[in-house]
Amino acid sequence: MSEPALLEIEGISKFYGNIIALRDITTSVRAGEVTCVLGDNGAGKSTFIKILAGAHKQSEGRLFVEGEEVSFDSPRDALALGIATVYQDLAVVPLMSVWRNFFLGAEPTKWGPLKVIDREKAASIAKEELAKMGIDIRDTEQSVGTLSGGERQSVAIARAAYFGAKVLILDEPTSALGVKQSGVVLRYIVEARNRGLGVIFITHNPHHAYPVGDRFMILNRGQSLGDYAKAELTQPELTQLMAGGADLEALQHELSKAIGG
Amino acid sequence: MSTETPTVPAVQADERLAYRGPIQRLLTRPEIGGLIGAGSIWIFFWSVSDVFGTTAGINNYLDVATSLGIMAIAVALLMIGGEFDLSSGAMTGATGMLVVLLVKDTGELGGLGLPLTVAIPITFLFAMGVGWINGTLVEKTGLPSFIVTLGTFFVLRGAKLGFSKLFVDKVIVEGLDDAPDYDFWVNIFGAVWIRNDHLWDSFLGGRDLVFGVLAAIGATAIVVGFMELSLVRRTEAGSMPSVRSAFALLIGLVAGFGGLIYLTQTDGVADNWTGALVMAVGAILAIYGYSSWRFEPFSGSSGGVSMGGQNGRRALIGIGLIVVGTLLGVVMDSSNTDVLGLLLTVQGLRAILFGGCVIVGVLILLGAAQRSDTSPVNRFVLTALAGLSVAGVGFVIQAEAASRKYRAEFFAWMMAAAVLLVTIAIVRISFDQRRHADEPADRFGTLVSISGIVVFLMAIATKLLWATSIELVESRAIITYRISILYFFVFAGVATWILMRTKFGSWTFAVGGNKGASRQVGVPAARTKTQLFMVVSGASWLVGTLIAFRLNSVQANVGDGQEFFYIIAAVVGGNLLTGGYGSAAGAAIGALIMAMSFQGIPFAGWNSDWRFLFVGVILLLAVMVNNYVRGRAEKST
Repeated sequence: MSEPALLEIEGISKFYGNIIALRDITTSVRAGEVTCVLGDNGAGKSTFIKILAGAHKQSEGRLFVEGEEVSFDSPRDALALGIATVYQDLAVVPLMSVWRNFFLGAEPTKWGPLKVIDREKAASIAKEELAKMGIDIRDTEQSVGTLSGGERQSVAIARAAYFGAKVLILDEPTSALGVKQSGVVLRYIVEARNRGLGVIFITHNPHHAYPVGDRFMILNRGQSLGDYAKAELTQPELTQLMAGGADLEALQHELSKAIGG
Repeated sequence: MSTETPTVPAVQADERLAYRGPIQRLLTRPEIGGLIGAGSIWIFFWSVSDVFGTTAGINNYLDVATSLGIMAIAVALLMIGGEFDLSSGAMTGATGMLVVLLVKDTGELGGLGLPLTVAIPITFLFAMGVGWINGTLVEKTGLPSFIVTLGTFFVLRGAKLGFSKLFVDKVIVEGLDDAPDYDFWVNIFGAVWIRNDHLWDSFLGGRDLVFGVLAAIGATAIVVGFMELSLVRRTEAGSMPSVRSAFALLIGLVAGFGGLIYLTQTDGVADNWTGALVMAVGAILAIYGYSSWRFEPFSGSSGGVSMGGQNGRRALIGIGLIVVGTLLGVVMDSSNTDVLGLLLTVQGLRAILFGGCVIVGVLILLGAAQRSDTSPVNRFVLTALAGLSVAGVGFVIQAEAASRKYRAEFFAWMMAAAVLLVTIAIVRISFDQRRHADEPADRFGTLVSISGIVVFLMAIATKLLWATSIELVESRAIITYRISILYFFVFAGVATWILMRTKFGSWTFAVGGNKGASRQVGVPAARTKTQLFMVVSGASWLVGTLIAFRLNSVQANVGDGQEFFYIIAAVVGGNLLTGGYGSAAGAAIGALIMAMSFQGIPFAGWNSDWRFLFVGVILLLAVMVNNYVRGRAEKST
């Protein structure tokens, strides 16, 4: 443990009134690592993301960025510390061109106070940066709506990486995609990791998580079922854990009985 | 085949990207549907009315288009940003009334008697305030802007009537010219330029010469620019024009322009024949000469002429329609104004059948030529046939027509169209088409063709906005240009620039396209939307002030109900009702379409009770065309 983790989560809990959404969650993400947060519907994944993204404040527990304790009051605070979140359906504006999407909110401008967008600069940087991620865009003037679902997520990932994100939080980037498209997104997750980013990959699909993940944290009904390094876990074990272990075994037993007749 | 001389590779565009020629690129702009619609409506009313195409007529509907247009542009910006403002119409009346109430010094309670120098900024601040309230209410409550601004609309409407009754006990407030500094401000908001003098008649040889020269320069630039964008540049470095092509170019230029100018000046049959032929041969020679110097000759296989199968059938149908239409045009009585049924006279029916058949026929021929499986030779034959048909129909119209506008001007335009089609046919079979982007050529071609379009539009504007003294006497019209026209054009230009080039423009598209996503990446969505509401109320302030200066008084119901026309104009101009897509120039064009439709009906001598029916049909057609254009744009990008 030479250098501190990029983002360290220690004993985070979140209460909404008398509802306990999250209880005592601990995990971490290091530079060049993918931490997968797995959980079924209602396991508390969204609450977890919102705390990390600065949209909500935790009720208990502490967050450390590069070893220093932090407290987020708004998504802007998180962004300023290099924590960028890419939401599944809030990634891009489909009717706008690729380069406009890439620079949205942070357009390079010229002519001082007139805030004229430097289109050529923006278009060439966008093309270059996307190429670095292995996304080969034909024409940055084409509207994002014409890209495939996987490519759209990837544009958002590349943008976050370009604007200095150190930790990338991906909210179910593959859940609405087909097998092939999911593969595309997983490749970019690995690409981002290889570029030294820490990635928190939230998903409910262990088959997507296992190949790319370095750490796995399984959420179930607001509680952590454990925080494992890849070496400590096989894929079937991960699936098992996610499905609630014993429950699935019972189900399998019942199913095989039904099929066996 | 040409030998490949390796040139320094410029920044090459992606090789997987199919190159799109200038025409295809134009066809994917959001304004194009509106532009074609505006052109068709103009030609339609021009042909059924004697006044519509004159300067007096144009002055009339341009005046209607300006106040509608200024608002439509602002409303379009807000619509792109994903919101509506139903209070925009009532706001024009409210600001107009406020400024009058602030300066007048008579009446029941009296006004405040302020000078305009104080009253105008106060009114502006009031407008900004209402815009801010609209925006903030929408953002804070999360209610649909449709409902919130409906509320503001009623508030304003009630306030206008209430205050009007309270202060002057009438539904109209009068007396803007009570203000001590009225004489100064009237120059800024109420300036009028009356054109019943003969001042300009001798300017640079008169209007038609200025028009001819500008049109010729513009058309040449457009042709050159489009050829740069669609043909392959010759690769030999520093190639000089051969004697043959230089000679062809020179002779052609002289003959072409000589013929065109001659043509616009005459309406005798024999004169027109000569003029048209000289122009046609000249233009074709010039373009051929220029191209053979500058562009690579055709290198592909031409394919045989086979007029069998699909294309043969299409050609037959097209030619057949053109012939039938022309025959109908000859047979039917063009001067018969008996009413056949609702609205329609024999004359009108003839115009519709004649025009319709010919246009559809030509489009079928051109459509067949554009198909990807059409061989180059067949493409040549089909395009040339279309051109020759246009020429033929032009001569028939000239022979048949009773009025001078058909014999001279319309004939000249048809000849120009015919020459253009024949030239396109010749150029496409003689020179190589570009299939790839070529940065320097693209840059040059775009620059030249855009300047050409601007010059050409200037030429048309000269022709339309400048009445010669003969025309003024003939029409007995006094032509009054108001300063509002200037505001309209400037605002259209500025709004387009803001939308396309600035950060604020980008954010406008973003908040209308996907508010959540734009907020996520740090776009201040609430602020952007509030600013857009303020743009609309600012435009209302401008229009309200213009109305006040124009009438010197403002009625309590001014502007009420107009908000729907602003929205219609924006939609007709290609703006998406659901936000995230559109253009300011489109909204301006939409306003022109609306104004032309409204004013054209009385010009055409029809009962203006029917005008809303007409507007309804136009709205439906426009929305369908826009939908189609957007579909194409999304596919081809």
